[in-house]
Amino acid sequence: MKKLTPDQIEIIQDKRINELRKYKASLMVCAGTGCVSAGSLTLKELLDNKLKKKGLQDKYLVVPTGCNGFCAQGPILVIQPQGIFYQKVSSEDITDIIESLENGTYVERLLYKDKESEISIPKMENIKFFGKQKLIALRNKGIINPENIDDSIARGAYLSLAKVLHQMTQEEIIEEVKKSELRGRGGGGFLTGLKWEVSYKTGKDRNKTPYIICNADEGDPGAFMDRSIVEADPHAVIEGMTIGARAIGASEGFVYIRKEYPLALKRLRIAIKQAKDYGLLGENILNSGFNFETHIHRGAGAFVCGESTALIASIGGKAGEPIASYIYPAETGFRNNPTIVNNVETWANIPVIIEKGADWFASIGSIEGSKKSTGTKVFSLVGDIENTGLVEVPMGITLREIIYDIGGGIPNGRDFKAIQTGGPSGGCLPKIHLDLRIDFDTLTEAGSMMGSGGLIVMDDKTCMVDIAKYFIDFLKDESCGKCTPCREGLINLSNILTRITKGEGKENDIELMKEIAETMELASLCALGQTAANPVLSTIKYFRDEYEAHIKDKKCPAGVCKELIKYKINDNCTGCTICAKNCPVDAISGKPKEMHFIDQAKCIKCDICNEVCNFEAITVE
Amino acid sequence: MKDIIIDGKKISVKEETTILDAAKELNIEIPALCHRPTVEAYGACRLCVVDVNDGRKTRMVTSCNYPIRKSIEVNTQSERVRKTRGMLLEMMLSRWPNVDVIKQFAAEYKVTKPRFIHPLVDYSSNACILCGLCVNACSEIMWEDIIGFAGRGESRRVVMPFEKHYDACVGCSTCANICPTGAIKMIDDPNQPADSKRIMKYGSKIADEMVLMDEEQCDMRGVGTAHLAQIMNDYDLFPTCNYKFGSHKDAGGLHSDVFKQKYITQGLPDGCWLGCSMSCAKTVEGYELKTGPYKGDKVLIDGPEYETIAGCGANMGIFNPEFVLEANFYCDTYGIDTISFGTGMAFAMECYENGILNKERTGGMEFNFGNEEVGLEALHQMGRGEGFGVIVGQGIRRMKQIFAEKFDLTKKQIKFMQDIGMEAKGMEYSEYVTKESLAMQGGYGLALKGAQHDEAWLIFMDMVNNQIPTFEDKAEALHYFPMFRTWFGLMGLCKLPWNDVEPADNAETDEPAKVPGHVEGYVNFFSAMTGKEIDKHELILQSERVYNFQRVFNYRLGFGTREHDSIPYRSAGPVTIEEYESRAERYDKQLVEKWDYDIKGKTSEEKRDYLRKMREADYQKLCDAVYKRRGWNENGIPTIQKMKELKMDLPEVLAVLKKNN
Repeated sequence: MKKLTPDQIEIIQDKRINELRKYKASLMVCAGTGCVSAGSLTLKELLDNKLKKKGLQDKYLVVPTGCNGFCAQGPILVIQPQGIFYQKVSSEDITDIIESLENGTYVERLLYKDKESEISIPKMENIKFFGKQKLIALRNKGIINPENIDDSIARGAYLSLAKVLHQMTQEEIIEEVKKSELRGRGGGGFLTGLKWEVSYKTGKDRNKTPYIICNADEGDPGAFMDRSIVEADPHAVIEGMTIGARAIGASEGFVYIRKEYPLALKRLRIAIKQAKDYGLLGENILNSGFNFETHIHRGAGAFVCGESTALIASIGGKAGEPIASYIYPAETGFRNNPTIVNNVETWANIPVIIEKGADWFASIGSIEGSKKSTGTKVFSLVGDIENTGLVEVPMGITLREIIYDIGGGIPNGRDFKAIQTGGPSGGCLPKIHLDLRIDFDTLTEAGSMMGSGGLIVMDDKTCMVDIAKYFIDFLKDESCGKCTPCREGLINLSNILTRITKGEGKENDIELMKEIAETMELASLCALGQTAANPVLSTIKYFRDEYEAHIKDKKCPAGVCKELIKYKINDNCTGCTICAKNCPVDAISGKPKEMHFIDQAKCIKCDICNEVCNFEAITVE
Repeated sequence: MKDIIIDGKKISVKEETTILDAAKELNIEIPALCHRPTVEAYGACRLCVVDVNDGRKTRMVTSCNYPIRKSIEVNTQSERVRKTRGMLLEMMLSRWPNVDVIKQFAAEYKVTKPRFIHPLVDYSSNACILCGLCVNACSEIMWEDIIGFAGRGESRRVVMPFEKHYDACVGCSTCANICPTGAIKMIDDPNQPADSKRIMKYGSKIADEMVLMDEEQCDMRGVGTAHLAQIMNDYDLFPTCNYKFGSHKDAGGLHSDVFKQKYITQGLPDGCWLGCSMSCAKTVEGYELKTGPYKGDKVLIDGPEYETIAGCGANMGIFNPEFVLEANFYCDTYGIDTISFGTGMAFAMECYENGILNKERTGGMEFNFGNEEVGLEALHQMGRGEGFGVIVGQGIRRMKQIFAEKFDLTKKQIKFMQDIGMEAKGMEYSEYVTKESLAMQGGYGLALKGAQHDEAWLIFMDMVNNQIPTFEDKAEALHYFPMFRTWFGLMGLCKLPWNDVEPADNAETDEPAKVPGHVEGYVNFFSAMTGKEIDKHELILQSERVYNFQRVFNYRLGFGTREHDSIPYRSAGPVTIEEYESRAERYDKQLVEKWDYDIKGKTSEEKRDYLRKMREADYQKLCDAVYKRRGWNENGIPTIQKMKELKMDLPEVLAVLKKNN
């Protein structure tokens, strides 16, 4: 294929826009991992077939898109440009959908219903989940086919690249990124432009060619921001990396992406090939004389490989273990050359900063005071929350806005208890912090962290000791084991927490855990170890009474820790026998129409009796 | 330099020095489990944490790998540092309660009974504590990766690949030796030494020296013996154009850096045997041959070593590294020694330039110094067994005979051949210029097997450092060193680790040339291997027995007398006027100062002749002194008395000596 010049990008852009305009509507079928597993690809195929059968294929275009974000409601179908949002769409709905398209109406039953008012909302923009979001990194989610580069170009992709290659010096690019005050979205929150400047200068001083790395080794449980960005808009990442490469003078880059992300991997491969074919990657990019190649390196799934020095070791074929933090990858990284490791989301922000300018970017977000967090942040919202999904919001938004306005609150009428931010080594924040502004520094001050953007919401049925144990166990398994405090600290914390949840807690356990945690924080080699005790520290800080209940009273207030709870049948029992019939270990006895009893020696606390009881006659103590 | 303060004490250190090293200079001890000077700081045990204040804030860092880049203040004993170390030790002690090194450190921090029960508690006193020293030693000291870590977190462990026994491990014992707990044991030592621990102790000393000092000393791991080319050229000892000169303006072309940067491809362990920490053998990979039967093939070449570089380079007047590589490859392929080839060719070339040979006699080849094409063609002829190459291939002693017999030569020409034919006892000289070192002339001439430097290399002691000024001093050196070096042959050991790396304090010892620290190592090695205690005198005695026996053996075969210890004059002084004049200042000075010779108005020819007379006489005096020291008669034959002293008065030996005495 002929390599493009900057002008030709705009020609392709116009051409594609005109092509799309010919259609009366585009049917955006979400093909993010969540909706794909809910059957969206079959849906897309059936839609295509049906349209063809009816001879409507030139009137309506079916587009498989990246993640729409509202994963809880998948499979999702959005009709553009009208903006009609359909949820939980199945193959039976196809006929009605096409009919309504022709009639200019919509299918009522597929619309999203507001939880409070129970009113159906046809337009996506009016749904609260979308209303408060501001899309920069996810600017193209759900509105392009990520496997078609022309769709991206139609939305403006690679124009920023053309601009930096032909109108800006390396110093100007770095200056622009510095001025935007963009901070690394991988969790560290280091100023991206500053990091670039270090690599650029080191490369020049030492006459070494820097490398560019995109960190797509997203390993936090419940986090899928990076995956979704790559799935929805891979060209945003490639363009960002290429701009970064130009800025620091790199000619080779890597995307370190975990193998568990097959769809993201596939789309990235397609995108790289398409970009190469257009001359947007490779030699003499956009006829500027600048060369940049990018390779995909598949990670094997070790959590620690998200740490930049471990990641660099892994790309180099070594075990993914971090090295001393006194060696900065920006100076001495891959093959001992200056290396910029930025996270997927950081890269995806770059083209927009170039396009709209640093001032525009720096005006968004948490921008008061000396410690700013500019721009937006993508979060994956999971746990005990109504609207599970992917959201992008301006920095500085409060937790309450995310949980209640966007997230739709806690399901099943339960109460909010805590929110875990920052991935496994983040912290759990309680109700009193609901009005906390989400930015790098505020979260750290509260004992948690931004991390890469995982938000796990927990309701009042959650035991915080059990949660701490869950995260500590995760980290214990994922610690590389190189340094003593992280490896041994996690083993010991896990052991103590296990004891506590079994009712074997000791008087001084809390203080002992705090001592271990302090050593881990002070003495661990890498950020993983330094923050690994956060789940324990933050839960002790905010939910100390729960620990004490476990240790002193041998009780689990949330009724989660099996060794500490008892199932009893209360006065509500009507003797319906359903519990006895369902008990897998025959622990329940009693005559029909008489009150039943649970034999504590036999009971395995499986909760089945509680689930089947229709009279709320089971008490958990 | 950076001024820093550690525990209130000021010190100025080079930038990038670690805090641990700086503290060591101040005699401030910082505990460290996973750190040794021989391996790169790993920063895993974290015991060496200290507080660092850089003027802005206080941070806890590991001192083993924290590079000093600014003026910092360090506190190695702050309360939180001690508390942190205590907790680290408490955690380690809970997992490995019986490991001595942990117990000792823990006791220092008042940790005796951990407050928690470790789920993976290992009561072994030899438990692996995951410090990583073995893994890093294997990789960094031995350049191998036989062992590594497997598993993450609590399942982290040291293993061989796929957790199976890995044949590539030769049992070099580096890992076992560096292990602080004894978790790695040598269980199957095929040599069954009497005391393997004692051997490991001295063996690891050499390994440590290699890692810590080799790069600054000889860089044997980096370039091997090739490093000598530059040194010899600098000291005017680099044989050039058949030993006429000792240096050349183009010698830089054969500098080890050229080979290292352009040709040597391996930064890998490439020893004669796996497990050698010196690993001085080097490899050039993918070299495309330009001549011969394998022309155009890309081949792997072993080497080149110093002798090959000098012999197949400068001595033939060639300074092209690729010629050296090509000659090296074909010598190896044909089974030809590169020293004999280089020295033999150099002789033939000088004969050609002096009219002893001509194109007709060489089969049309222009045998000038520097002719690379001819150099390789002669080598291929040798390999094929045809042409003039066959004559060169027979060596200098036979060449001299053949030329004298076959060609119509004048007496002067025959005499000239004797003077410049660099062989003794029929063996070609190896590649050092001995002209200005009488002791070294003896080193070559008096060596039993012929003109080889492996019995004694005394140029620096004698010529450069003037440590052995008298005949008796030189004789003592020509007694001790040949005996000491013969001992390596007796034991089947490589000589290079003896003095191609030296202990840091070697220069301060009484006899640096002997490398006393390493002699002690060899004495201990022998005793630990055999279980028989010896001392350094016994070591020499062992050699003396064999050495004298060999001399008697030579004698029986008609080679063991003074006449056979003679050397060509080029080995002792300038043969030609050109040579004299190239070092006229040195020779003139010697004539005046040493022999009171009035050089005024004398021609170079007269001076050269007088110098020759004196130097030849000196060489005979040296032989006298050496024979005496070795207990031989004035004809260089071991006396019966000497053989009795050595308990080598075997009937067969006595029979030979009696018959001829």
